[in-house]
Amino acid sequence: MSGLEHITPGILVILVIACGILYRELKRAQGGYHHFIRRIPGVDAVEGAVGRCAELGRPVVFTTALTDIGPVLYACLGVLHAVARKAAQYKLKLIVPQYSPEAMALVEDTVREAYRDVGRGSSFDPDGIKFLSGEQFAFASGYMGLMHREKAGAAFMFGAFAAEALVLAEAGQQVGARQVAASVSPEQVAFFICTCDYTLIGEELFGASAYLSREPVQVATLAAQDRLKLLFLGLIGVGVVLATLQAWYPGVAAWMPHTLLSADWSSLAW
Amino acid sequence: MVTTQSTDTRTKLIRIFTFLGGIYFFLYFVLPESAVTAIGMKAHHEQISNGFIVIGAMALGLGLYNIVRAHGARVVFQRSGWFNSLALLVGLLAMIGATSAQWIENLRNTKDILSVQVLGEFAMRIVEDAKNPPTDRVVPPFAERVSALVRYGEDRVSLIESHTNVSVAAGTNGASSVLVSEVRDRIAATRAKIGELKTISWAQPGDEALSRLTQFSQDAAKLASSYSIVKRSHDAHSTPQKVYDFLFDGLFNQLGSAMFALLGVYIAAAAYRAFRVRTIESGLMMIAAVIVMLGQISFGKEIYEHMPSIRQWLLEVPNSAAFRAIRLGAGVAGLMLAIRMWLSIESKSFSSGRK
Repeated sequence: MSGLEHITPGILVILVIACGILYRELKRAQGGYHHFIRRIPGVDAVEGAVGRCAELGRPVVFTTALTDIGPVLYACLGVLHAVARKAAQYKLKLIVPQYSPEAMALVEDTVREAYRDVGRGSSFDPDGIKFLSGEQFAFASGYMGLMHREKAGAAFMFGAFAAEALVLAEAGQQVGARQVAASVSPEQVAFFICTCDYTLIGEELFGASAYLSREPVQVATLAAQDRLKLLFLGLIGVGVVLATLQAWYPGVAAWMPHTLLSADWSSLAW
Repeated sequence: MVTTQSTDTRTKLIRIFTFLGGIYFFLYFVLPESAVTAIGMKAHHEQISNGFIVIGAMALGLGLYNIVRAHGARVVFQRSGWFNSLALLVGLLAMIGATSAQWIENLRNTKDILSVQVLGEFAMRIVEDAKNPPTDRVVPPFAERVSALVRYGEDRVSLIESHTNVSVAAGTNGASSVLVSEVRDRIAATRAKIGELKTISWAQPGDEALSRLTQFSQDAAKLASSYSIVKRSHDAHSTPQKVYDFLFDGLFNQLGSAMFALLGVYIAAAAYRAFRVRTIESGLMMIAAVIVMLGQISFGKEIYEHMPSIRQWLLEVPNSAAFRAIRLGAGVAGLMLAIRMWLSIESKSFSSGRK
């Protein structure tokens, strides 16, 4: 269903269910329900990495790399807010190299707000938000130079990455920075696992912000994601059973989940 | 009090614009294609999408401002590494200068080429208007239009001739002598046709006169086409283009390639770290990696004939399953977050609502 330009009835049903689940979890959180979040070692390491910078007197570097404005950036900003708060509390230099000028405006606002939240608004240095380049490898080379010049104590790489991922992670490795990476790009996860101290895989990136902030809205969203994933797991299970039955009863193919989800509006003629 | 009120208004405005910005794409996605076409959304979709891109492009100024502010201050106050910042700013200005010069040169040349192309189109328009006089607009008298065409034609032909002579004087500047001589032939032909047009009485033009005009139009079109090739060839060897090519293709692209080449070294270093067998998991990864590598090369088949099939299975089954799981999880999380963003369900709005 790649390149889907218009919704199919099946996907519309899934979308309505997703909205319903989100609404229900938000209502529960509003009513004071406490959602449990399991420990994520990589997220626990965020605080430790910032603390290490305070001990060593070295700056903290946080990059969202190639992430453009969208849900992934939004998830990264939650973590950036938590990191910036810690950096402000420990009076650390925070550097946020930027690739996307659009995202830069949001990043700057997030860091400024985090400094204000801990009562250190005047310590916020806008020069810490550095636009390096809108070109992938020019950005990577700028990041490498920055890591070597600043001798960062910790580097956080959250967001969408491509071929430059290993260049960024190796730069941190070379200066001995404690590195935490989180990517929704499965191809780059392997590189991060090899070069970083902690790696958050896929959806853990979205959970990190909720885990760090424990804000009811974020935690409720996380819970809603899990409910929806359960639904998908169920659909996969049904698909597996039907695919097996198909060997004996070819007619069940019409009821396979992917067939139902991809059927367009004209099939509703009945 | 006033500040709180203005902040509230600002927040409301942001939410309204976020919702309105999102609802268009939501409706476009949710409505069936037939409905989207029927209400006219489909016809304007590209323009609206381009509008959003234009708004996004405005942010480019923010990046430029940030670079100039951060590095400019470092140069002015001669802070540590100021010479790196100076190199960056000089590079930025050089690239802006080269690109602007190339753009202006291209713009001027395109305008010249268009002005020649319009000569043939003008002649054809006169012929069409003579055959089917327009009822929806008033056109000047026929003789007056032809007279203007002749004047304009002479002017354009002189311009092309002077440009072609400049090209020849500069050693044809990349335009081959065959092309230049072709343009000269066409200049001569067009000039001859202009001469013919001058001899005809245009008060009451007959079929013969209109046929001459049509021939002139065809000759002018051929001249424009040849001139365009010579001009483009000349442009490719102009100084602004050479400077741009040197900076962009010669320097920028090569530096980018050098950075990409570094990946080879880094992959080797990362592989060394990853393949140190310290746990059962890293041992499994090592075995899988060795099988994949052996399956990729012809030597692997010599060791065990099914090695390529095992490699294929590893990539298509366990590896694809893991990739899909990551993509599905990230996709679901992205969907939930997107809904939350679109409806502006923020932590702050949540708590203020509770109050």
